[in-house]
Amino acid sequence: MIILFVVLPLIVAGLLPLIGKVSRRVLPDLLANGTLLFLLVYAAVAGRALIAGGPVLQQSAWLGEAVNLRLALDGFSLLMLVAVSLVGLAAGLFSIDYMEHYGAKANYYALYLVMVAGMNGLVLATDLFSVYVFLEVAAVASYALVAYGLGPDELEAAFKYLMLSVVASAFLLAAIAVVFGMTGSLEFAAVAAALKELNAGAVLGIASACFLLGFGLKAALVPFHAWLPDAHPSAPAPISAVLSGLLIKVSGVYAMTRIFLNVFGLTPALSTVLMVLGAVSMVVAAFLALGQKDMKRMLAYSSISQVGLIVLGIGIGTPLGIAGGLFHLFNHALAKGLLFLNSGSVQQATGTRDLAAMGGLAKRMPVTAATNLIGSLSIAGVPPLNGFWSKLIIIVALVQAGHPVFAVVAVLASVLTLWYYLLIQRQAFFGKLNEKWAAVKEAPFWMTVATVLLALLCVGIGILFASTVTTWIQPAADVLADGVHAVTGSWGF
Amino acid sequence: MVLQTALLIGLVIFSVLAILLKDLLKSAIALAAASLLLGIIFFRMNAPYAGVFEISVVAGLITVLFILTIALTGAGHDVRESKLVNWVFPLVFVAFIVIDALVMKSLLGKVPALPSGTEAGTFGDVLWKGRTLDLVGQIAVILAGVFAVLALFRKRDKHD
Amino acid sequence: MTNTWYLYLFFAAALVFAGLLGLLGKRNLIKLFIAIEVIGKGISLLLLSTGFAKASILTAQALVITYIVIEVSLVATALALIINIYRQTKSLDIRDLAKLKG
Repeated sequence: MIILFVVLPLIVAGLLPLIGKVSRRVLPDLLANGTLLFLLVYAAVAGRALIAGGPVLQQSAWLGEAVNLRLALDGFSLLMLVAVSLVGLAAGLFSIDYMEHYGAKANYYALYLVMVAGMNGLVLATDLFSVYVFLEVAAVASYALVAYGLGPDELEAAFKYLMLSVVASAFLLAAIAVVFGMTGSLEFAAVAAALKELNAGAVLGIASACFLLGFGLKAALVPFHAWLPDAHPSAPAPISAVLSGLLIKVSGVYAMTRIFLNVFGLTPALSTVLMVLGAVSMVVAAFLALGQKDMKRMLAYSSISQVGLIVLGIGIGTPLGIAGGLFHLFNHALAKGLLFLNSGSVQQATGTRDLAAMGGLAKRMPVTAATNLIGSLSIAGVPPLNGFWSKLIIIVALVQAGHPVFAVVAVLASVLTLWYYLLIQRQAFFGKLNEKWAAVKEAPFWMTVATVLLALLCVGIGILFASTVTTWIQPAADVLADGVHAVTGSWGF
Repeated sequence: MVLQTALLIGLVIFSVLAILLKDLLKSAIALAAASLLLGIIFFRMNAPYAGVFEISVVAGLITVLFILTIALTGAGHDVRESKLVNWVFPLVFVAFIVIDALVMKSLLGKVPALPSGTEAGTFGDVLWKGRTLDLVGQIAVILAGVFAVLALFRKRDKHD
Repeated sequence: MTNTWYLYLFFAAALVFAGLLGLLGKRNLIKLFIAIEVIGKGISLLLLSTGFAKASILTAQALVITYIVIEVSLVATALALIINIYRQTKSLDIRDLAKLKG
């Protein structure tokens, strides 16, 4: 019943405003987080059993008639579902305390669940246009969530995000229309088979460029990144965590990867373009992060940089590179989610995001400081945390595939990353306690639970990286490394 | 075909007017006129359902939403637009039209396409049974829009 | 692809380009959104004419209808944002929204 991943959050979201009239806090908190917990357990426990025998294709019947609710769950989709559920649950738990002073919690959770439903629908869809539809579902929910605080900064950021996003969507649809025109179909399997027959060359290149423009903007790859450093810091902290940790990866990286690797097939030209874009994002954003004074802005630029690394890894095209890229996608979702949640704890305690105004918070907020250190070291790639292994795999894959220059660039970018994260850690948490903060307290219960959960996962996956890779990452990487065969062979309905 | 081309030219003209006109209300009406023409173009392409939707939803509902917004943002209409743009826009646009025409002419027959099969079923079948997941998506996006508007217009008792 | 498809593609491209030019040049927030609507018209024209050329007019209609529904949600959200921005800053000028530098 993989349709549950889409339908359950939608149904709960639909009921939430009514429930919100009855119970303003407890029931919405319980229902929303309960749904997310259920989806996480379902994905983590039942998911692997489901895909053990190959991709699960579900064509549902409704009221006795066969309807085209075609969803496909394979290794790659499952990895994304687990990531969405994990970070979604953590941010949901965090919201229990954090969103108290924003008002209308039931409405917030409703939007949040619709965004989750959109992301889940995107990864389960088997049809180019359905990918677009669910991409928009998640996007519309995210516009409102970015603007949720209703302050001037939030509204401005949300508006610019919306404008750029809609232009990206237009290019996506143009590409979809051209592919529809060439192949006469929208389903992944049919399109892949038809494209092989057609030998479309130049026109396919133009369609790919339009897809790259659209998904590149969603993934915030340089030079389409301008919206992210405004949108992610302005959003409430749990939403920043979901946007940076999940949405840019689902709407951007997942969609792009699925279409380029499984439907079009990764040509050497496409591989080079992806690698160059990834490398440029990685380096440029790392430099831009260095100059930031606002904690969340620094984290936002870091997201752009890390997504660049993910795309670089996947762009290599070799099984090892893809595995490294996917592993880093998962690790970054956890770690960046953790860091943004912590920034929310800090913002709530001190009322500011300005790093220069902080200082010595570790003495008053030890748990937050510790989890922040874990998250930072994870993204910077320090052993034995999870980020170290994914970065190592990507660098090894680069060397193995004969791209030593890229490998050196990746290592240098990692050093830069470590540097600016230690800057945050030092300026905000270590050092002398600024008098202003002498009275701050540690973050409330649920916020701490959420961040500790993510931090434990970072450590756990770092230690148990081998089994994590074999059980979760490898099936996903295999699907992608198979290229077009993964879809034409087993996805024909 | 001649009529269709005339309608298409009208569509482009009204759309450009909608962008260039100074008065917001006239812009909204020009946009509605453009939608009306697009709906008729759809009808003539044997797409009556799309035509009806375009006219009733885009020319109707969306125009109403625009007019509502224009009314609610009363005095904000005097945003001084750049005079330069009013000259540059038509020039660049005409230049693009010329390039567009040349590109399309050179592309004639160049886009490879598989021969198309016949379509089975009625429109109802195609929509309800063929694209059911899209219908779930439609429900989701409508929920997203409704909750977004509710969230953005909610009563604030404390400021963040 | 049939020759009429290229005719429709020509007009769709013109509409999208007009909208993009409007996005670059105009300053009023509502005008900017009207430019986006024009881009939307170009895209729905492209979708439907592709279906027309492939004798899949029914599928294309389903796509265009779904696209229009998505557009309505987008318009509602965007206009809600614009009204809120106006209430806070009393201005509809994009140049006044320059606090964040991207």
